[in-house]
Amino acid sequence: MYKKVFCVTFALATLLPFVFGQSGKTPDLTGVWGPLRATGANAKFAPPAAGPLVLKPEYAKPYEARRAMEAEASKRGEQLATGGAQCIPYGVPTMMRIASYPVEILQMPKQITIIGEAFSEVRRVFMDKPQAPVEDVAPGYYGRSAGHWDGDTLVVDTIGIKPSVNGYQGMPHSEKMRITERFRLLSPDVLHDQITIEDPVVLEKPVTYTLAFGRLPDYEMVEFVCDNNREYVDEKGIVRMKIKDK
Amino acid sequence: MKSRLLNVLAAAIAVAIPVLAHHSFTMFDMSKKVTLVGTVTSFEWSNPHCYIEIDAPEESGAAKHWSIEMGSPSILQQGGWKFSSLKKGDKVTLVINPHKSEPGGGFLFSATLPDGRVLGNGPGRGPQK
Repeated sequence: MYKKVFCVTFALATLLPFVFGQSGKTPDLTGVWGPLRATGANAKFAPPAAGPLVLKPEYAKPYEARRAMEAEASKRGEQLATGGAQCIPYGVPTMMRIASYPVEILQMPKQITIIGEAFSEVRRVFMDKPQAPVEDVAPGYYGRSAGHWDGDTLVVDTIGIKPSVNGYQGMPHSEKMRITERFRLLSPDVLHDQITIEDPVVLEKPVTYTLAFGRLPDYEMVEFVCDNNREYVDEKGIVRMKIKDK
Repeated sequence: MKSRLLNVLAAAIAVAIPVLAHHSFTMFDMSKKVTLVGTVTSFEWSNPHCYIEIDAPEESGAAKHWSIEMGSPSILQQGGWKFSSLKKGDKVTLVINPHKSEPGGGFLFSATLPDGRVLGNGPGRGPQK
């Protein structure tokens, strides 16, 4: 009897922190996470639909014009220059979902590190320091991230993303952009990252979208150093491919 | 108001587009397949793409060289590829989608290796391991 009670207690004590974070410990997000195909048994883990991206009119016009140019170029069999084609990293938040590439989360009490396999992007979330004022953060690809636990949810606040960094869906953004992520385990092996982007300069209202990840327990992250990029941008701003002659 | 609605519509359409790792494949003619039978001159296991360089004579017998783009190592390994899958001098048969404007360029669809295995170009493209 005591043995049974002990086993059940032990099992709950082991599992609950992963799922609910209710035993005084925080969930452990450490591991490699790939995009979750939310079909079949995983359909219940499908992320909610993304909210609309609504730009202020002065930003919407050039954004839509650029999109139209991209579509026109594509019809001609051409692609307009992008940072990605030139091996420029994607930064936060776009690096969290690059095609089918996984991300690795390394969770320590004072810092959570997130490594994107594509382009070997690295972001650090400080858990023991308050967020800095935006004017004190040197603008970059990953900005400065401060995190805390809200029950079972890891909340990450990121500021300091350089306006030239590729934005969500190619959106423009200002130095006032603020990204709030809420990471939560829906099961021991399914993680959602709800991402909300605020930018009082560019956006009419914040935009929220959610990424679903599945745990890849045996996956070994692959190095990604972009040292053989044969795509280049020509004088017209079109992506071309170098062909070798032997 | 109309403009606002258009903005929302454009955004809703945009949201459905996944982020490409490196570039789109619009430069390749995905509706056309060309079979190349030839000799590997190099196999480059590299990022952002792997490449097979191959001498594949034309039907007339004239020499012709091709640069064939593949996925990245991370993507290809999911389809059974390894850095050592090919080496210089290997005789292979490649099925490719040709580049639309660069003769001698193409994107791999499938490869028949010297040991007879047929590999695709990562998950969802060509035969799988």
